[in-house]
Amino acid sequence: METNQKNQTINSIYGDYQKHLCEILETLTNRLSKANETFRLKNGEALYEHINGRIKSEQSMRDKCRRRGLPCTPYSALHELTDAIGLRIVTTFREDINQVIETIEHFEDCRIIEKKDYIHNVKPNGYRSYHLILDYETPFEDVCGHTPGHYFVEIQLRTIAMDTWASLEHQVSYKKNIDPKREKLIRQELKRCADELASCDISMQTIRNLIREDHAHENTAR
Amino acid sequence: MKILLAEDETAMQRAIQAFLSIQHCEVDLASDGRKAVEMAENGVYDCYVFDIMMPGMNGIDALQHLRGSGDKTPAIFLTAKVEVDDRVHGLEAGADDYLTKPFAMKELLARIHSVTRRSEEYTPSKLTFGNVDFDADNDTLTCKSSIQLSSPEGRMMRYLLLNPQKSISSETLYHHVWNEKENPDADEQMVWIYISYLNQKLDAIDADIKISGEESGPFSLVSNQSNGL
Repeated sequence: METNQKNQTINSIYGDYQKHLCEILETLTNRLSKANETFRLKNGEALYEHINGRIKSEQSMRDKCRRRGLPCTPYSALHELTDAIGLRIVTTFREDINQVIETIEHFEDCRIIEKKDYIHNVKPNGYRSYHLILDYETPFEDVCGHTPGHYFVEIQLRTIAMDTWASLEHQVSYKKNIDPKREKLIRQELKRCADELASCDISMQTIRNLIREDHAHENTAR
Repeated sequence: MKILLAEDETAMQRAIQAFLSIQHCEVDLASDGRKAVEMAENGVYDCYVFDIMMPGMNGIDALQHLRGSGDKTPAIFLTAKVEVDDRVHGLEAGADDYLTKPFAMKELLARIHSVTRRSEEYTPSKLTFGNVDFDADNDTLTCKSSIQLSSPEGRMMRYLLLNPQKSISSETLYHHVWNEKENPDADEQMVWIYISYLNQKLDAIDADIKISGEESGPFSLVSNQSNGL
Protein backbone atom coordinates (compact mmCIF):
# COMPACT_ATOMS: atom_id res chain seq x y z
CA MET A 1 0.00 0.00 0.00
CA GLU A 2 2.70 2.46 1.03
CA THR A 3 4.80 1.61 -1.98
CA ASN A 4 1.81 2.08 -4.19
CA GLN A 5 1.17 5.55 -2.82
CA LYS A 6 4.82 6.44 -3.19
CA ASN A 7 4.80 5.25 -6.79
CA GLN A 8 1.79 7.38 -7.54
CA THR A 9 3.55 10.48 -6.33
CA ILE A 10 6.69 9.74 -8.24
CA ASN A 11 5.03 8.31 -11.32
CA SER A 12 2.44 10.93 -12.05
CA ILE A 13 -0.29 9.96 -14.49
CA TYR A 14 0.86 13.03 -16.40
CA GLY A 15 4.40 11.59 -16.66
CA ASP A 16 7.17 14.00 -17.58
CA TYR A 17 4.62 16.41 -18.99
CA GLN A 18 3.34 17.25 -15.51
CA LYS A 19 5.84 20.10 -15.12
CA HIS A 20 4.47 21.85 -18.21
CA LEU A 21 0.85 21.77 -17.12
CA CYS A 22 1.20 24.35 -14.34
CA GLU A 23 3.18 26.60 -16.61
CA ILE A 24 0.52 26.43 -19.33
CA LEU A 25 -2.18 27.18 -16.78
CA GLU A 26 -0.23 30.14 -15.48
CA THR A 27 0.53 31.53 -18.94
CA LEU A 28 -3.12 31.40 -19.99
CA THR A 29 -4.38 32.83 -16.70
CA ASN A 30 -1.93 35.71 -16.95
CA ARG A 31 -2.86 36.37 -20.54
CA LEU A 32 -6.55 36.49 -19.70
CA SER A 33 -5.91 38.76 -16.69
CA LYS A 34 -4.00 41.09 -18.96
CA ALA A 35 -6.85 41.05 -21.50
CA ASN A 36 -9.24 41.84 -18.66
CA GLU A 37 -7.14 44.82 -17.61
CA THR A 38 -6.84 46.15 -21.17
CA PHE A 39 -10.59 45.77 -21.66
CA ARG A 40 -11.31 47.58 -18.39
CA LEU A 41 -9.07 50.51 -19.28
CA LYS A 42 -10.69 50.79 -22.70
CA ASN A 43 -14.34 50.25 -21.74
CA GLY A 44 -14.51 51.22 -18.09
CA GLU A 45 -15.92 47.79 -17.25
CA ALA A 46 -14.15 44.49 -16.75
CA LEU A 47 -14.33 41.69 -19.28
CA TYR A 48 -14.96 39.17 -16.54
CA GLU A 49 -15.38 39.09 -12.80
CA HIS A 50 -12.82 36.46 -11.84
CA ILE A 51 -10.88 33.50 -13.13
CA ASN A 52 -9.90 30.19 -11.48
CA GLY A 53 -7.68 27.45 -12.76
CA ARG A 54 -6.72 23.97 -11.70
CA ILE A 55 -4.80 20.93 -12.85
CA LYS A 56 -7.02 17.90 -12.44
CA SER A 57 -5.80 15.96 -9.40
CA GLU A 58 -3.99 12.64 -9.89
CA GLN A 59 -6.81 10.80 -8.18
CA SER A 60 -9.64 12.37 -10.22
CA MET A 61 -7.76 11.79 -13.44
CA ARG A 62 -7.11 8.13 -12.61
CA ASP A 63 -10.75 7.67 -11.61
CA LYS A 64 -11.88 9.24 -14.85
CA CYS A 65 -9.59 7.02 -16.94
CA ARG A 66 -10.99 3.94 -15.20
CA ARG A 67 -14.56 5.08 -15.72
CA ARG A 68 -13.84 5.54 -19.40
CA GLY A 69 -12.05 2.18 -19.63
CA LEU A 70 -8.75 3.85 -20.49
CA PRO A 71 -5.32 2.77 -19.20
CA CYS A 72 -3.89 5.19 -16.61
CA THR A 73 -1.22 6.62 -18.88
CA PRO A 74 -0.08 10.15 -19.81
CA TYR A 75 -1.50 9.48 -23.29
CA SER A 76 -4.99 8.83 -21.88
CA ALA A 77 -4.77 11.81 -19.50
CA LEU A 78 -3.45 14.31 -22.00
CA HIS A 79 -4.64 13.09 -25.37
CA GLU A 80 -7.77 10.97 -24.91
CA LEU A 81 -9.20 13.20 -22.19
CA THR A 82 -9.25 16.96 -22.53
CA ASP A 83 -9.72 18.36 -19.04
CA ALA A 84 -6.29 17.94 -17.38
CA ILE A 85 -5.95 21.72 -17.54
CA GLY A 86 -9.13 23.56 -16.58
CA LEU A 87 -10.04 27.24 -16.36
CA ARG A 88 -13.25 28.78 -15.11
CA ILE A 89 -14.08 32.35 -16.07
CA VAL A 90 -16.94 33.97 -14.20
CA THR A 91 -18.58 37.06 -15.70
CA THR A 92 -20.97 39.64 -14.29
CA PHE A 93 -23.41 39.65 -17.21
CA ARG A 94 -24.58 37.09 -19.74
CA GLU A 95 -23.32 38.88 -22.84
CA ASP A 96 -19.85 39.22 -21.30
CA ILE A 97 -19.45 35.50 -21.98
CA ASN A 98 -19.52 36.13 -25.75
CA GLN A 99 -17.01 38.92 -25.27
CA VAL A 100 -14.62 36.54 -23.50
CA ILE A 101 -15.03 33.90 -26.21
CA GLU A 102 -14.25 36.52 -28.83
CA THR A 103 -11.11 37.50 -26.92
CA ILE A 104 -9.97 33.86 -26.77
CA GLU A 105 -10.68 33.43 -30.49
CA HIS A 106 -8.08 36.12 -31.12
CA PHE A 107 -5.31 34.24 -29.27
CA GLU A 108 -3.07 33.14 -32.10
CA ASP A 109 -1.73 29.99 -30.46
CA CYS A 110 -5.20 28.79 -29.36
CA ARG A 111 -7.73 27.04 -31.50
CA ILE A 112 -11.23 26.41 -30.14
CA ILE A 113 -11.95 22.82 -31.15
CA GLU A 114 -15.24 22.38 -29.36
CA LYS A 115 -18.00 24.64 -28.03
CA LYS A 116 -20.71 23.29 -25.77
CA ASP A 117 -23.43 25.83 -25.14
CA TYR A 118 -25.31 24.72 -22.05
CA ILE A 119 -26.76 28.22 -21.73
CA HIS A 120 -29.06 27.62 -24.68
CA ASN A 121 -29.06 23.85 -24.35
CA VAL A 122 -29.77 23.85 -20.63
CA LYS A 123 -29.13 20.53 -18.90
CA PRO A 124 -32.28 18.91 -17.48
CA ASN A 125 -31.23 19.71 -13.91
CA GLY A 126 -31.00 23.44 -14.79
CA TYR A 127 -27.20 23.63 -15.26
CA ARG A 128 -26.18 26.55 -17.42
CA SER A 129 -22.62 27.22 -18.55
CA TYR A 130 -20.59 27.60 -21.75
CA HIS A 131 -17.77 25.09 -22.25
CA LEU A 132 -14.83 25.45 -24.61
CA ILE A 133 -12.07 23.00 -25.43
CA LEU A 134 -8.90 24.67 -26.65
CA ASP A 135 -6.03 23.20 -28.56
CA TYR A 136 -3.13 25.25 -27.21
CA GLU A 137 0.19 25.27 -29.01
CA THR A 138 3.19 25.44 -26.67
CA PRO A 139 6.98 25.43 -27.08
CA PHE A 140 7.07 22.19 -25.04
CA GLU A 141 6.98 18.66 -26.31
CA ASP A 142 3.57 16.99 -26.07
CA VAL A 143 2.50 13.45 -25.26
CA CYS A 144 2.57 12.51 -28.96
CA GLY A 145 6.22 13.57 -29.18
CA HIS A 146 5.57 16.73 -31.22
CA THR A 147 7.41 19.99 -30.62
CA PRO A 148 5.88 22.55 -30.59
CA GLY A 149 3.42 20.49 -28.61
CA HIS A 150 -0.35 20.68 -28.38
CA TYR A 151 -2.18 20.61 -25.06
CA PHE A 152 -5.91 20.59 -24.40
CA VAL A 153 -7.40 23.20 -22.10
CA GLU A 154 -11.01 23.16 -20.97
CA ILE A 155 -12.65 26.46 -20.21
CA GLN A 156 -15.96 26.93 -18.41
CA LEU A 157 -17.65 30.29 -18.83
CA ARG A 158 -20.60 31.38 -16.73
CA THR A 159 -22.16 34.34 -14.93
CA ILE A 160 -21.89 34.86 -11.18
CA ALA A 161 -25.47 33.62 -10.79
CA MET A 162 -24.77 30.45 -12.82
CA ASP A 163 -21.58 29.89 -10.82
CA THR A 164 -23.32 30.24 -7.46
CA TRP A 165 -25.99 27.80 -8.63
CA ALA A 166 -23.38 25.29 -9.85
CA SER A 167 -21.58 25.30 -6.52
CA LEU A 168 -24.85 24.63 -4.71
CA GLU A 169 -25.74 21.83 -7.11
CA HIS A 170 -22.27 20.37 -6.59
CA GLN A 171 -22.97 20.17 -2.84
CA VAL A 172 -26.14 18.17 -3.44
CA SER A 173 -24.43 15.82 -5.88
CA TYR A 174 -21.59 15.01 -3.51
CA LYS A 175 -23.65 14.71 -0.37
CA LYS A 176 -24.17 11.07 0.45
CA ASN A 177 -27.08 9.40 2.19
CA ILE A 178 -29.71 12.07 1.60
CA ASP A 179 -33.27 10.80 2.04
CA PRO A 180 -34.42 10.13 -1.58
CA LYS A 181 -37.70 11.95 -1.06
CA ARG A 182 -35.87 14.97 0.28
CA GLU A 183 -33.31 14.84 -2.52
CA LYS A 184 -36.07 14.87 -5.11
CA LEU A 185 -37.57 17.94 -3.49
CA ILE A 186 -34.21 19.69 -3.30
CA ARG A 187 -33.48 18.91 -6.96
CA GLN A 188 -36.88 20.25 -7.97
CA GLU A 189 -36.24 23.47 -6.04
CA LEU A 190 -32.74 23.76 -7.51
CA LYS A 191 -34.21 23.53 -11.01
CA ARG A 192 -36.75 26.25 -10.23
CA CYS A 193 -33.98 28.37 -8.75
CA ALA A 194 -31.86 27.92 -11.89
CA ASP A 195 -34.76 29.14 -14.05
CA GLU A 196 -35.31 32.13 -11.76
CA LEU A 197 -31.63 33.05 -11.78
CA ALA A 198 -31.54 32.79 -15.58
CA SER A 199 -34.54 35.11 -15.67
CA CYS A 200 -32.76 37.63 -13.42
CA ASP A 201 -29.56 37.37 -15.47
CA ILE A 202 -31.53 38.26 -18.60
CA SER A 203 -33.42 41.10 -16.88
CA MET A 204 -30.13 42.59 -15.65
CA GLN A 205 -28.59 42.28 -19.11
CA THR A 206 -31.70 43.97 -20.59
CA ILE A 207 -31.50 46.84 -18.09
CA ARG A 208 -27.80 47.23 -18.85
CA ASN A 209 -28.59 47.41 -22.58
CA LEU A 210 -31.33 50.00 -21.95
CA ILE A 211 -28.89 52.13 -19.93
CA ARG A 212 -26.34 51.85 -22.74
CA GLU A 213 -28.93 52.82 -25.36
CA ASP A 214 -29.89 55.90 -23.32
CA HIS A 215 -26.24 56.76 -23.01
CA ALA A 216 -25.73 56.37 -26.77
CA HIS A 217 -28.77 58.61 -27.44
CA GLU A 218 -27.39 61.27 -25.11
CA ASN A 219 -24.04 61.18 -26.86
CA THR A 220 -25.57 61.51 -30.33
CA ALA A 221 -27.81 64.32 -29.11
CA ARG A 222 -24.82 66.35 -28.00
CA MET B 1 -62.56 48.44 -20.61
CA LYS B 2 -63.08 47.89 -24.32
CA ILE B 3 -66.24 46.28 -25.66
CA LEU B 4 -67.21 45.06 -29.09
CA LEU B 5 -70.93 45.54 -29.69
CA ALA B 6 -72.56 43.74 -32.61
CA GLU B 7 -76.06 45.11 -33.10
CA ASP B 8 -78.00 46.01 -36.26
CA GLU B 9 -80.64 48.30 -34.75
CA THR B 10 -79.38 51.87 -34.74
CA ALA B 11 -81.48 52.99 -31.76
CA MET B 12 -80.21 50.11 -29.63
CA GLN B 13 -76.60 50.75 -30.74
CA ARG B 14 -76.79 54.37 -29.68
CA ALA B 15 -78.46 53.65 -26.36
CA ILE B 16 -75.90 51.03 -25.34
CA GLN B 17 -72.95 53.04 -26.56
CA ALA B 18 -74.11 56.17 -24.77
CA PHE B 19 -74.68 54.37 -21.50
CA LEU B 20 -71.43 52.40 -21.53
CA SER B 21 -69.35 55.46 -22.46
CA ILE B 22 -70.53 57.19 -19.31
CA GLN B 23 -69.35 54.11 -17.41
CA HIS B 24 -65.85 54.54 -18.91
CA CYS B 25 -66.22 51.70 -21.38
CA GLU B 26 -64.92 52.17 -24.88
CA VAL B 27 -67.40 50.68 -27.37
CA ASP B 28 -66.63 49.60 -30.94
CA LEU B 29 -69.63 48.99 -33.19
CA ALA B 30 -70.25 46.23 -35.70
CA SER B 31 -73.51 46.20 -37.63
CA ASP B 32 -73.56 42.48 -38.40
CA GLY B 33 -71.89 39.17 -37.52
CA ARG B 34 -69.36 39.20 -40.33
CA LYS B 35 -68.14 42.68 -39.40
CA ALA B 36 -67.96 41.61 -35.73
CA VAL B 37 -65.72 38.63 -36.61
CA GLU B 38 -63.45 40.86 -38.65
CA MET B 39 -63.13 43.43 -35.87
CA ALA B 40 -62.62 40.78 -33.19
CA GLU B 41 -59.87 39.17 -35.20
CA ASN B 42 -57.98 42.43 -35.52
CA GLY B 43 -58.69 44.16 -32.24
CA VAL B 44 -58.33 43.43 -28.56
CA TYR B 45 -61.51 43.45 -26.45
CA ASP B 46 -62.40 42.71 -22.85
CA CYS B 47 -65.94 41.61 -23.69
CA TYR B 48 -68.18 40.90 -26.68
CA VAL B 49 -71.84 41.90 -26.61
CA PHE B 50 -73.54 40.30 -29.62
CA ASP B 51 -77.15 40.51 -30.72
CA ILE B 52 -78.36 37.10 -31.90
CA MET B 53 -80.66 38.23 -34.72
CA MET B 54 -78.66 40.12 -37.31
CA PRO B 55 -78.75 40.14 -41.10
CA GLY B 56 -76.11 38.03 -42.86
CA MET B 57 -74.10 36.18 -40.23
CA ASN B 58 -75.98 36.03 -36.94
CA GLY B 59 -74.44 36.48 -33.50
CA ILE B 60 -74.30 32.76 -32.71
CA ASP B 61 -72.39 31.91 -35.90
CA ALA B 62 -70.03 34.84 -35.33
CA LEU B 63 -69.15 33.70 -31.82
CA GLN B 64 -68.85 30.08 -32.88
CA HIS B 65 -66.36 31.16 -35.53
CA LEU B 66 -64.30 33.16 -33.02
CA ARG B 67 -64.32 30.40 -30.39
CA GLY B 68 -63.24 27.97 -33.09
CA SER B 69 -60.11 30.02 -33.73
CA GLY B 70 -59.23 29.98 -30.04
CA ASP B 71 -60.65 33.33 -28.97
CA LYS B 72 -61.51 33.17 -25.25
CA THR B 73 -62.86 36.71 -24.78
CA PRO B 74 -65.97 36.71 -22.53
CA ALA B 75 -69.21 37.12 -24.50
CA ILE B 76 -72.80 38.11 -23.73
CA PHE B 77 -75.71 37.54 -26.12
CA LEU B 78 -78.64 39.90 -26.50
CA THR B 79 -81.81 38.17 -27.58
CA ALA B 80 -85.21 39.52 -28.45
CA LYS B 81 -86.70 36.08 -28.41
CA VAL B 82 -88.11 34.42 -25.39
CA GLU B 83 -87.52 30.92 -26.77
CA VAL B 84 -85.42 28.68 -24.61
CA ASP B 85 -83.70 27.15 -27.70
CA ASP B 86 -82.19 30.45 -28.68
CA ARG B 87 -80.59 30.95 -25.30
CA VAL B 88 -79.38 27.36 -25.23
CA HIS B 89 -77.78 27.66 -28.66
CA GLY B 90 -76.12 30.89 -27.65
CA LEU B 91 -74.62 29.43 -24.49
CA GLU B 92 -73.50 26.31 -26.32
CA ALA B 93 -71.83 28.39 -29.00
CA GLY B 94 -69.55 29.65 -26.23
CA ALA B 95 -71.35 32.63 -24.72
CA ASP B 96 -70.81 33.28 -21.02
CA ASP B 97 -74.17 34.92 -20.38
CA TYR B 98 -77.26 36.32 -22.13
CA LEU B 99 -79.79 39.10 -21.69
CA THR B 100 -83.35 39.16 -23.02
CA LYS B 101 -84.61 42.38 -24.58
CA PRO B 102 -85.84 44.62 -23.18
CA PHE B 103 -83.28 44.91 -20.41
CA ALA B 104 -82.08 47.55 -18.01
CA MET B 105 -78.77 49.14 -18.98
CA LYS B 106 -77.36 48.78 -15.52
CA GLU B 107 -78.03 45.07 -15.69
CA LEU B 108 -75.99 44.86 -18.91
CA LEU B 109 -73.13 46.65 -17.18
CA ALA B 110 -73.36 44.35 -14.15
CA ARG B 111 -73.25 41.29 -16.43
CA ILE B 112 -70.26 42.68 -18.35
CA HIS B 113 -68.46 43.15 -15.04
CA SER B 114 -69.47 39.68 -13.93
CA VAL B 115 -68.19 37.84 -17.04
CA THR B 116 -64.95 39.81 -17.29
CA ARG B 117 -64.21 39.22 -13.61
CA ARG B 118 -64.79 35.50 -14.08
CA SER B 119 -62.57 35.37 -17.13
CA GLU B 120 -59.70 36.92 -15.15
CA GLU B 121 -60.06 34.11 -12.65
CA TYR B 122 -60.66 31.28 -15.05
CA THR B 123 -58.33 31.82 -17.95
CA PRO B 124 -56.73 28.51 -18.79
CA SER B 125 -53.55 27.88 -16.87
CA LYS B 126 -51.75 26.42 -19.89
CA LEU B 127 -51.37 28.67 -22.92
CA THR B 128 -49.50 27.86 -26.11
CA PHE B 129 -48.34 29.82 -29.14
CA GLY B 130 -45.65 28.77 -31.62
CA ASN B 131 -43.29 26.38 -29.88
CA VAL B 132 -43.78 28.08 -26.51
CA ASP B 133 -45.81 26.78 -23.57
CA PHE B 134 -46.77 29.07 -20.75
CA ASP B 135 -47.87 27.80 -17.36
CA ALA B 136 -49.90 30.73 -16.02
CA ASP B 137 -50.24 29.24 -12.54
CA ASN B 138 -46.49 29.25 -12.01
CA ASP B 139 -45.43 31.94 -14.52
CA THR B 140 -43.11 29.46 -16.24
CA LEU B 141 -42.25 29.86 -19.91
CA THR B 142 -41.05 26.69 -21.61
CA CYS B 143 -39.62 25.86 -25.00
CA LYS B 144 -36.20 24.23 -25.41
CA SER B 145 -35.52 25.07 -21.77
CA SER B 146 -37.69 26.80 -19.22
CA ILE B 147 -37.49 30.16 -17.52
CA GLN B 148 -39.28 31.55 -14.50
CA LEU B 149 -41.00 34.91 -15.04
CA SER B 150 -41.71 37.61 -12.45
CA SER B 151 -45.39 38.25 -11.80
CA PRO B 152 -45.82 41.38 -14.00
CA GLU B 153 -43.96 39.55 -16.77
CA GLY B 154 -46.33 36.62 -16.29
CA ARG B 155 -49.43 38.85 -16.51
CA MET B 156 -48.10 40.48 -19.68
CA MET B 157 -47.23 37.13 -21.26
CA ARG B 158 -50.68 35.76 -20.42
CA TYR B 159 -52.42 38.76 -21.98
CA LEU B 160 -50.29 38.53 -25.13
CA LEU B 161 -50.92 34.79 -25.42
CA LEU B 162 -54.67 35.34 -25.07
CA ASN B 163 -54.48 37.85 -27.92
CA PRO B 164 -51.82 36.52 -30.28
CA GLN B 165 -51.09 38.30 -33.56
CA LYS B 166 -53.28 41.24 -32.60
CA SER B 167 -52.02 44.78 -32.44
CA ILE B 168 -52.12 45.91 -28.80
CA SER B 169 -51.44 49.49 -27.75
CA SER B 170 -48.95 50.28 -25.02
CA GLU B 171 -51.79 51.79 -22.99
CA THR B 172 -53.99 48.68 -23.19
CA LEU B 173 -51.10 46.47 -22.19
CA TYR B 174 -50.24 48.79 -19.33
CA HIS B 175 -53.77 48.71 -17.92
CA HIS B 176 -53.93 44.93 -18.12
CA VAL B 177 -50.64 44.36 -16.37
CA TRP B 178 -50.40 47.07 -13.73
CA ASN B 179 -52.92 48.15 -11.20
CA GLU B 180 -52.69 51.90 -10.84
CA LYS B 181 -53.83 51.80 -7.24
CA GLU B 182 -51.05 49.40 -6.29
CA ASN B 183 -48.36 50.98 -8.44
CA PRO B 184 -49.03 54.71 -8.56
CA ASP B 185 -45.48 55.33 -9.79
CA ALA B 186 -45.62 52.93 -12.71
CA ASP B 187 -46.17 54.45 -16.13
CA GLU B 188 -46.26 53.34 -19.75
CA GLN B 189 -42.47 53.38 -19.93
CA MET B 190 -42.62 50.19 -17.86
CA VAL B 191 -44.34 48.49 -20.77
CA TRP B 192 -41.29 48.80 -22.99
CA ILE B 193 -38.93 47.53 -20.28
CA TYR B 194 -41.12 44.47 -19.74
CA ILE B 195 -41.49 43.89 -23.49
CA SER B 196 -37.68 43.93 -23.66
CA TYR B 197 -37.40 41.43 -20.77
CA LEU B 198 -39.88 39.08 -22.39
CA ASN B 199 -38.23 39.27 -25.80
CA GLN B 200 -34.82 38.45 -24.32
CA LYS B 201 -36.33 35.58 -22.34
CA LEU B 202 -38.18 34.18 -25.36
CA ASP B 203 -34.89 34.32 -27.23
CA ALA B 204 -33.05 32.57 -24.39
CA ILE B 205 -35.34 29.54 -24.57
CA ASP B 206 -35.10 29.43 -28.40
CA ALA B 207 -38.73 30.42 -28.91
CA ASP B 208 -40.00 30.84 -32.48
CA ILE B 209 -42.21 33.75 -31.40
CA LYS B 210 -41.47 37.32 -30.34
CA ILE B 211 -43.19 40.57 -29.46
CA SER B 212 -42.88 42.99 -32.33
CA GLY B 213 -43.23 46.75 -32.07
CA GLU B 214 -41.29 49.96 -31.45
CA GLU B 215 -40.80 51.46 -28.01
CA SER B 216 -44.05 53.47 -28.14
CA GLY B 217 -46.10 50.51 -29.36
CA PRO B 218 -48.37 49.04 -30.60
CA PHE B 219 -47.12 45.54 -29.87
CA SER B 220 -48.02 42.20 -31.27
CA LEU B 221 -47.09 38.63 -30.37
CA VAL B 222 -45.96 37.13 -33.66
CA SER B 223 -44.13 34.19 -35.09
CA ASN B 224 -40.45 34.78 -35.90
CA GLN B 225 -40.76 33.10 -39.28
CA SER B 226 -43.51 35.41 -40.49
CA ASN B 227 -40.93 38.21 -40.71
CA GLY B 228 -38.45 36.03 -42.53
CA LEU B 229 -36.11 35.96 -39.55
